[in-house]
Amino acid sequence: MKYRRLLFSVKDPYSDSSDELFTKAVKENFSYCISHCDDYRRICEELCISSPSDASGLPVIPTLLFKKKQMMNTGCIPLIKATSSGTSGRKSTIAFDTGGLLCGLKMVMRVSKLRNLLSPVPCHYIIMGYKHHRGNKTAVTKTAFGATFFTPALSRNYILTYKKGGYSPDFDRIIDLIVRHSRSRFPTRFMGFPAYTYFLLRIMDERKIYLKMPKGSRIMLGGGWKQFYAEQTDKNSFYSLAEKVLGIKENDIIEFFGAVEHPILYCDCKEHHFHVPAYSRVIIRDVDTLKPLENGKTGLVNLITPMVKATPVLSVMTDDLGILHNGSECSCGLKTPFLEIVGRVAPEDIKTCAAGAEEIIKGVNV
Amino acid sequence: MIFFDGEIYENDMCDKLLSRFEDRICDTLGNCRLSAKQVMLAAEKISTDIENGAFDDMLSALDVENVSYYKQLIIACLSRENLEYRLKTELGDSDGFIGSPNGITPKIRIQTKPLGVLFHIAAGNADGLPVMSVAEGLLAGNINILKLPSADKGLSIRIIKRLCKYEPLLSRYIYVFDTPSSDVRTIQTLAGFADGIVVWGGTEAVKAVRSLAPPGVKLIEWGHKLGFCYISDYANHTDEFSALAGHIASTKQLLCSSCQTVFIDTDDKTELTLFCEMFLPYLEAAVGKHRNTSIGTRARDTLISYTARLEQAIGIRQISPDVFYGKNCSLIIKDDFELELSPMMCNVLVKRLPRKDIMRTLRNAKGFLQTAGLICDKADRAELTDLLLCAGVTRVTQAGNMSAYFFGESHDGDYPLSRYTRKINIELNDQTEETNI
Repeated sequence: MKYRRLLFSVKDPYSDSSDELFTKAVKENFSYCISHCDDYRRICEELCISSPSDASGLPVIPTLLFKKKQMMNTGCIPLIKATSSGTSGRKSTIAFDTGGLLCGLKMVMRVSKLRNLLSPVPCHYIIMGYKHHRGNKTAVTKTAFGATFFTPALSRNYILTYKKGGYSPDFDRIIDLIVRHSRSRFPTRFMGFPAYTYFLLRIMDERKIYLKMPKGSRIMLGGGWKQFYAEQTDKNSFYSLAEKVLGIKENDIIEFFGAVEHPILYCDCKEHHFHVPAYSRVIIRDVDTLKPLENGKTGLVNLITPMVKATPVLSVMTDDLGILHNGSECSCGLKTPFLEIVGRVAPEDIKTCAAGAEEIIKGVNV
Repeated sequence: MIFFDGEIYENDMCDKLLSRFEDRICDTLGNCRLSAKQVMLAAEKISTDIENGAFDDMLSALDVENVSYYKQLIIACLSRENLEYRLKTELGDSDGFIGSPNGITPKIRIQTKPLGVLFHIAAGNADGLPVMSVAEGLLAGNINILKLPSADKGLSIRIIKRLCKYEPLLSRYIYVFDTPSSDVRTIQTLAGFADGIVVWGGTEAVKAVRSLAPPGVKLIEWGHKLGFCYISDYANHTDEFSALAGHIASTKQLLCSSCQTVFIDTDDKTELTLFCEMFLPYLEAAVGKHRNTSIGTRARDTLISYTARLEQAIGIRQISPDVFYGKNCSLIIKDDFELELSPMMCNVLVKRLPRKDIMRTLRNAKGFLQTAGLICDKADRAELTDLLLCAGVTRVTQAGNMSAYFFGESHDGDYPLSRYTRKINIELNDQTEETNI
């Protein structure tokens, strides 16, 4: 995996000159997958793919398929396994190899510089997601936990705690803590699902709890907006509510995008756009023919990265609908194109973790 | 977003508005009278606006196949002729005076009055439904509180604002809250103002509303139903098969009236195979013709069929001899007699149901019956229709018209306007007989 190592050593994650290296790295990964995973080979045979010339020619595997069958490359010792947060008993399980995780670590260090996430100033962490638990292998949990290492952590508290075999949100306890943290000398960082964060802000607003969190406090969002998807008006009302309730300005609200099947950290720029980092490529595909579309058109989102060796997640397709925009359309200065998620394929039995979030919240109220 | 007294408010005003809601309701009930004529005039103006294209942008964004037909249907529904007809048939002609034949009890006057305040909890699966539900409530003279479904894209509020512009009195009779279903406290408060709760939706929604409704409030449930097609003698009905396939493909089996299960009048399982072989080409052709235009739906269909292809390649999808796959559709033979929900999206269940077992099978689905499409010989039609109706079905149609709207039809066996009103009695005496109350 020489080219993978070289690709993840690219210093500037938003340089637009990594194409050649990227193609070499995906070909290297493809050769490994096809010779170490019978299912991958069968898929290639079905799609008549033997030697793709670039990333667009790789076999595209829907994330839905990983939820139905665990696929792994043999001959590679997985270091950890992570699952998606599927609620209906359908989760993807993705294994990660040591080399892939080291690449991931380098990536996180570099990408997080975009919004100056690394800091020596200690912080309190409020995690708007699951508490780290032995029985919970979801990538979201691991990512949220990982995000608490950007700075030294004074405390870590979770909105969803594990009680009697299930998770439930405890807004009252978290609100008390936030009130206490607002008087601290140190900043507070929020990390987790936008849906829970939004509900938290709304509850505080309803109870007329208005705080001014210490300077340097931030809200980090990950796990998708789901029902609030990319609705700019919703996002704007979120930003203004965050300022009203916590005194945290839009500039200090940072959003991440990623999936367990595509473990690349997408961090939004100051214009809240997800520019594609050097370690990943996005191809938007026609919703009828699955052929690649030009930038600016809406289609299914195909995400490609050669980061993982243990599982054939080289080229995956989510159930998102998205548009890839030219980098020049964003005023932030980054040159790589940026991905806009505009919705999801019409629901069938593709149940999202946001639907799960709604259910948990209903469970609390009813 | 809240619509209250003709004004739009942010949700943070909710508690404040709710605190003065009862006063407002009392004032309206005590001092205002809304006539059906006022409602009809405003509806007529909206209908003209729709005809002139004022809502074309939103209508064309709806997930309906034939926008111009849909538009004509709305215009017809809102027409004065239709509304007058509905008032007449649905409220009946009981208004008047009556005494006992032998004069032993005093004469009374019978009148139809609104229930008072209706709280509509609308479902998100049919666009325009929230506003139609409110319109029916208004026609019956009620104050209407509408909880918008989360899927509402703004059409309802736009029409409601315009209605209030055409008839300013209506702003006292329509209140809209886009409270999420999870905000049980607000929903319970709103339910507390209501004399009747109109709930649209599935069993879960209906159960939830039953649990939060205060005792004594009238519950008007328009719950989910299961449609089916009953086929007796399928040899000579090719036209009807293409109509049935068209119905399945155009509704995608998503409506209460959509065909979920096809029952064949036979005891012989091999006949089901013959039927599927014969019917699959009709269904495939119809699905091709009714291809969905919404990008999300097309993406889903592509994603599902692509995934299915890969599932077969890696051996996790076995092709069952009882499933007939077509392009974007399938026929699934099941060896029981029950009426059940299909996987939808043009995946139809096919089952045996000899006519001697109709009653038992349909009784098992009581409470969920609504439309039956019927394909049979002319000589059998009357008998089979009667059997289906006796078993609890409320609509028997031709197979292609299972989801059609018929003017004058009842809804799940009921007239909505009659459920939204009360029949009141006034004892006549020397004082009241002369006055025209």
